[in-house]
Amino acid sequence: MFKNFFLSELRYSFRQPMLYLFFLIVFLLVFAANVTDNVSIGGAIGNVFRNAPNIITIYSLIMTIFGLLFATAFFNNSALRDHKNNFQEILFSKPIDKFGYFMGKFLASLFLSTVPLTGVFFGIILGSKVAPLMGWIEADRFGPFFIETFINNYFIFILPNMFIGGAIIYSLAQEYKNTMISFVGAMLIIVGYSIAGELVSDIDNEKIASLVDTFGIRTYSITSKYYTPLEKNTLNPSLSGLILYNRLLWVGFAAIILFASYTRFSFTTKKSKKSKKNKSDLNKVILSVPKKAPKVQVFKNSALLHFKSFFKLNMNSIYKHVTFKILFVFSIIQLIAGLATGFEYFGLKSYPLTYFMVDQVNGSSSLFILIILVFFSGELVWRDRDVQVNEVIDSTPHSTLIPLFSKTLSLFSLSVVIHLVLILIAIIYQLISGFTQIEFSLYVKDYIYNMFPIYFTMCAALVAIQVIVNNKYIGYMVSVIVLLGFDIILLILDVNSNMLSLGSTPYMIYSDLNGFGPSNTGVFWFSLYWILFSLLLLSLSGLIWNRGVKKSFKERLNSINSNTSKTYSIIVSSIGVLFILTASFVYYNTQILNSYKSSDRYEELAVSYEKYYKKYKNLPFPKIIEAKYNIDIFPKKKMADVLAYLTLTNNKEKPIDSILLNVNKQWDLSFEFPNATIISKNEDHGVHFYRIDPPMLPGDTLILEIKNKYETKGFSNGGETTSIVKNGSFLNNFEILPNIGYDSSKEIGDKNKRKKLGLPPKERMPKLEVDCGVNCDKNYLTQGFSDYINVESIISTSIEQTAIAPGSLIRKWEENNRAYFEYRLDHPSQNFYSFISAEYEIAKREWNDVDIEIYYDAKHSVNIDMMLDAVERSLNYYTENFGPYYHKQARVIEFPRFSTFAQAFPGTMPYSESFGFIIDLEDEEDNNVIDAVIAHEMAHQWWAHQLVGANMQGGTLMSEAFSEYSSLMTLKNIAKTPMKMREFLKYDHDRYLRGRSGELEKELPLYKVENQQYIHYGKGSVILYALQDYIGEDKVNSAMKEFLEKYRYKTPYPTSLNFLEILEPKIPDSLNYLIDDWFKEITLYDNRLKTAFAKKLDNGKYEVSIEIEAFKIKADSVGNEKKVSLNEWIDIGVFSDSDEENLIHQQRVNINDSLMRFTMIVDSLPAKAAIDPRHILIDRVFSDNTKPVSFN
Amino acid sequence: MRQLVLKNLSKTYPNNVKALDDVSIEIKSGMFGLLGPNGAGKSSLMRTIATLQEADSGSIFFDDLNVLDNTKEFRQNLGYLPQEFGVYPRITAEQLLDHIATLKGISIKNERKELVEYLLQKVNLYDKKNKNVKGFSGGMKQRIGIAQSLIGDPKVLIVDEPTAGLDPGERNRFYDLLSDVGEDVIVILSTHIVDDVRELCTQMAIMNFGQIVFSGAPDDGINSLKGRVFEKQISKSELDSYKESHQVISNKLIAGKPVIHVLNDKIPDKSFKKIEPSLEDVFFTNIQKNNQ
Repeated sequence: MFKNFFLSELRYSFRQPMLYLFFLIVFLLVFAANVTDNVSIGGAIGNVFRNAPNIITIYSLIMTIFGLLFATAFFNNSALRDHKNNFQEILFSKPIDKFGYFMGKFLASLFLSTVPLTGVFFGIILGSKVAPLMGWIEADRFGPFFIETFINNYFIFILPNMFIGGAIIYSLAQEYKNTMISFVGAMLIIVGYSIAGELVSDIDNEKIASLVDTFGIRTYSITSKYYTPLEKNTLNPSLSGLILYNRLLWVGFAAIILFASYTRFSFTTKKSKKSKKNKSDLNKVILSVPKKAPKVQVFKNSALLHFKSFFKLNMNSIYKHVTFKILFVFSIIQLIAGLATGFEYFGLKSYPLTYFMVDQVNGSSSLFILIILVFFSGELVWRDRDVQVNEVIDSTPHSTLIPLFSKTLSLFSLSVVIHLVLILIAIIYQLISGFTQIEFSLYVKDYIYNMFPIYFTMCAALVAIQVIVNNKYIGYMVSVIVLLGFDIILLILDVNSNMLSLGSTPYMIYSDLNGFGPSNTGVFWFSLYWILFSLLLLSLSGLIWNRGVKKSFKERLNSINSNTSKTYSIIVSSIGVLFILTASFVYYNTQILNSYKSSDRYEELAVSYEKYYKKYKNLPFPKIIEAKYNIDIFPKKKMADVLAYLTLTNNKEKPIDSILLNVNKQWDLSFEFPNATIISKNEDHGVHFYRIDPPMLPGDTLILEIKNKYETKGFSNGGETTSIVKNGSFLNNFEILPNIGYDSSKEIGDKNKRKKLGLPPKERMPKLEVDCGVNCDKNYLTQGFSDYINVESIISTSIEQTAIAPGSLIRKWEENNRAYFEYRLDHPSQNFYSFISAEYEIAKREWNDVDIEIYYDAKHSVNIDMMLDAVERSLNYYTENFGPYYHKQARVIEFPRFSTFAQAFPGTMPYSESFGFIIDLEDEEDNNVIDAVIAHEMAHQWWAHQLVGANMQGGTLMSEAFSEYSSLMTLKNIAKTPMKMREFLKYDHDRYLRGRSGELEKELPLYKVENQQYIHYGKGSVILYALQDYIGEDKVNSAMKEFLEKYRYKTPYPTSLNFLEILEPKIPDSLNYLIDDWFKEITLYDNRLKTAFAKKLDNGKYEVSIEIEAFKIKADSVGNEKKVSLNEWIDIGVFSDSDEENLIHQQRVNINDSLMRFTMIVDSLPAKAAIDPRHILIDRVFSDNTKPVSFN
Repeated sequence: MRQLVLKNLSKTYPNNVKALDDVSIEIKSGMFGLLGPNGAGKSSLMRTIATLQEADSGSIFFDDLNVLDNTKEFRQNLGYLPQEFGVYPRITAEQLLDHIATLKGISIKNERKELVEYLLQKVNLYDKKNKNVKGFSGGMKQRIGIAQSLIGDPKVLIVDEPTAGLDPGERNRFYDLLSDVGEDVIVILSTHIVDDVRELCTQMAIMNFGQIVFSGAPDDGINSLKGRVFEKQISKSELDSYKESHQVISNKLIAGKPVIHVLNDKIPDKSFKKIEPSLEDVFFTNIQKNNQ
């Protein structure tokens, strides 16, 4: 019996196109992603093979999400087919066995839904054969296949995932006999996936996230997060650890659901109860004598009332719709999950500012609202016809357009209602969090600015589509194509105008400093454009609204006249005229006034720029030795006027007779260069070429006068600049002046793309050398265009704003109703500084001769004292340990949250509003991000601004790694327990290990870092911190101090070797190996605690005996690892608590064998023992370093 | 006395089926029965009168009102109960009637409420007014259907096959309701049950293949056949030969044996029995004429 149902189900599906279609979709997607770079899933780049087990696993996992759709189709159809065909009464009257029927169909569907997913395998296998053959992808980008990859993926992920999805869908289908509910059930799994996504934003939650993720997608990505390219190329997923627990949990859960459904399943149909009730109704005939019909007045024009009545009826019906309820609940779950788990960094959360709430509300509602809109657009338009009440309604004397508009408005109100409820939840969340500065108006404004236009446009367009297409399911298809497919088509055609993608507007973000910006004008016009477009479409579709019996398109066109009144024609034509005017205006602004290039065109330009101008790479250029600026910022007009005088000198040995300038096209440049004449100008590349005649002879000095003007004209497609805005303009000197010489940063970076475009591999940073010669004349920041220079600036802005330039404020005055400020640097500095203007509150504190100043928005006063403290603490530590501070001020300046970073310029440190100013630091136990970031930026005043590395490998060690180390030291000084630092360092360990896993080129040892952030921030801070732990804070600091004294404000610039020269003598011989292990090679540790036993001694103390396993591993640049012999000093220790907060014993032991035993005596009751208890060493799996102590 | 005048109405569907073929007919106040076999075009005609379907050519006048050009005015006077009357899910009887009453122009809330309650009482569903209509039985739904069609005192009431699927009791109650409407109302009732027309209608028409094959009073139809209809019980095997030699207008089984009705000016032979013609004979006679 089982076999019969199983086979007949298979036979049925193998005869249907669905199975093959699904397979083809998966196959083609994966094939395309495998053989081209244009389509990407997950992404296989850098040193990972395009067919690596890791890539195949990621593809399989992502495709199982699509697989839900297949599962829905197969399981739902299988459960409902007999029911739908009304076959069940015939079938169920036969003596069939329940198990065979229920499970036969289930297992057949399970098998069927895994079939399309094997398309992943076929796509990859075929892709790896075809792509090299056709010359699409080089053969060396593909590696060997492993049979385990396919087997393991199928049995660990594909089959269990389809089982989980299938069990839920099949059970729902058996219970409700409704396709939509099955579909919605499938979405539950996606909710699990996205909640897991919220959870992984903090490392502390990774374990929970791994378990919560229904499909094990995050589980795999967490398990494989530290995989090196080599491991990605060779390791197959295995059923162990978190993956095993996840699979057991969810497969078990699904099995329980399936079992419950099986026990509830019965062959008798359910309706019996209901029909019985009806029968009793029928028998009860009450013969009442109706009174005479009441007199009523009949009105001929009651359009408004008709509208209301339609509206009320629609809403009534939707609110009770189970699909609506479920989707509504989902969006609420999504929001609450987002609010509850969204961590930002270091496990900290921001105060629940209204704009964060708005982001959360928009984020968690948009997908569900979209689904609701698509689904109910069809439901509403087709409802009358679907339930066959249309003839009655259509024969009543209402105007044809009223139902159309009332349906549109009903649909739109759904989005409003959901949004309002979510806002309400967000407000409750704010209140529960004790946050009372709720900005109701921001909720409203954001809705009007950002959500209203798009939702309105969608509602009107979706209804119009259903009306025009006049077939519900084709209508759905067209809707989905318009909403999703169209963007893909545009992407393929390389057209990216917002005018073509339904409801698209330029980028806009709300910031407390700047309000809505920077593209509010553009957003307004695009919104108007889309609203008018959809209104026009809707009102035109009203003309061919199908009233009465189903009519052909031609018949509907013929009935246009009967559907229109004169007023309506006037209204439609006026909308049409308005639309055309708006469209022309938008077109003029975005395509003519502010034209832009497509991404393919950008690529072409980058290629031709490199081809034409690379030859000028070594063209000598004069050096800037002094700069004076007159800058006028006009925040309201988003305009800036720059007049700069640069003093240049020819410090080369040869005369300079020509100069190449890279001009930013958005700026209007004019130029006074004595003796220079323009010889060529390439507008596409923004390259101006000047001849200097007579040439600048060696030692010549001249003053170059540059006028540069930024003007915002109208609005643009992509959005306006974030540099010059209403409040919070932030420009740096590279932005406002043209670049001199060939600019290699314009080259295409991706190595595989370069190969494909026929470009030679990109030149890497100059190699680290002992005799560095001319390379040491340049530092990596200014690339030889300048060294330490003096800067004077006069900067003006609107009267209510404060403008800030580098150096001390010399004077400040008002003129022409504008505010003027004159600044001058107190010490020559790097030619790298910013100009900022906004309305600020200023908090000040004196520290010796230095003014500490925080410039902040009036709303963000909460953490200001903490910031002042952090600056002061840094000044104290750094002046004491490294040397004097050369500026008379230390400024922290808030800028709008267009980006999230802090940056150090001489004496000034711009700091994003979303990253510190609004973070909740009330719990003192938490990691303090402000202390860390400010200490880091302050450290740059020494490391980067007083001493900066030469432009070669290892350069960023002395700026970024040193700053991060300095920052950790200030934190260490205020840390209350030694374990506190482990909390901080954990993020640095993670950053390094994840970073090397994603390395695209090659991992280099620390002393040769090539501006790789995971190395100089992550590894650099871990290594330097460990070093001071091993040789002493004073030793490391004194080496740094000595190094600084030798190279401060001097050229030639130092290299990392110069630092190691000074460091090495300070290291005791026993630890000499650390220089090689930590700086010059890539070393990892693999330590674990095997056993830990304790016993109470007679003297009341405890003896803890541990057995440890330790390996030292050396890795090469792509992750080839080998174990090397051990002779290390590593800490072992004992905790008195299971939370590992109280370290009661620690000793450093020599480890020279991979398996060793140690005994420790502790005074109080031990709870856990550990190797490397404070997590000093780089160990990919740290959790096995500790173990609870057992007593014997 | 009102009248509805249909002139030369024709309608051909895209699949070339002639739904209406030059239909001309005058309908006066009172009950008008429209008879015809399935697919004769009854529903097409009803829908065309109910302004739900456009005719390719022809005209409809309601007194002086050109219906096809003034659909809105005509709809003010129209009550319509389609053959398949569905209802919105999750909507109660009262909500549904209230909505339709609003659409029919009864704009004052209290009046509407009173009317809806009156109608619900009249169709004996007052105690179900807060129940979802979707869960009603066929008969109850049909009662809601008639209630909605009576809203706003229609001058033209079109009911399309209203008794299909009703049990005899329900059917009687339904006709009681119909017969209650005012004398001055044109009621067009389509059905394939001949007795319905006989019992209720003062005027009638018979349709076949989109054409009107008979129109007039039921009695006129019967009178025209008076003395020309004969009956005989035969055996099954004889049926074909009788069909060839006589104008057999109908045959049906009585106690398992065919009984044929034959149309002839005089008695064909002694074995036949002369009978009083019924409306059914009128129906079959006209259909057959048209079929030939």
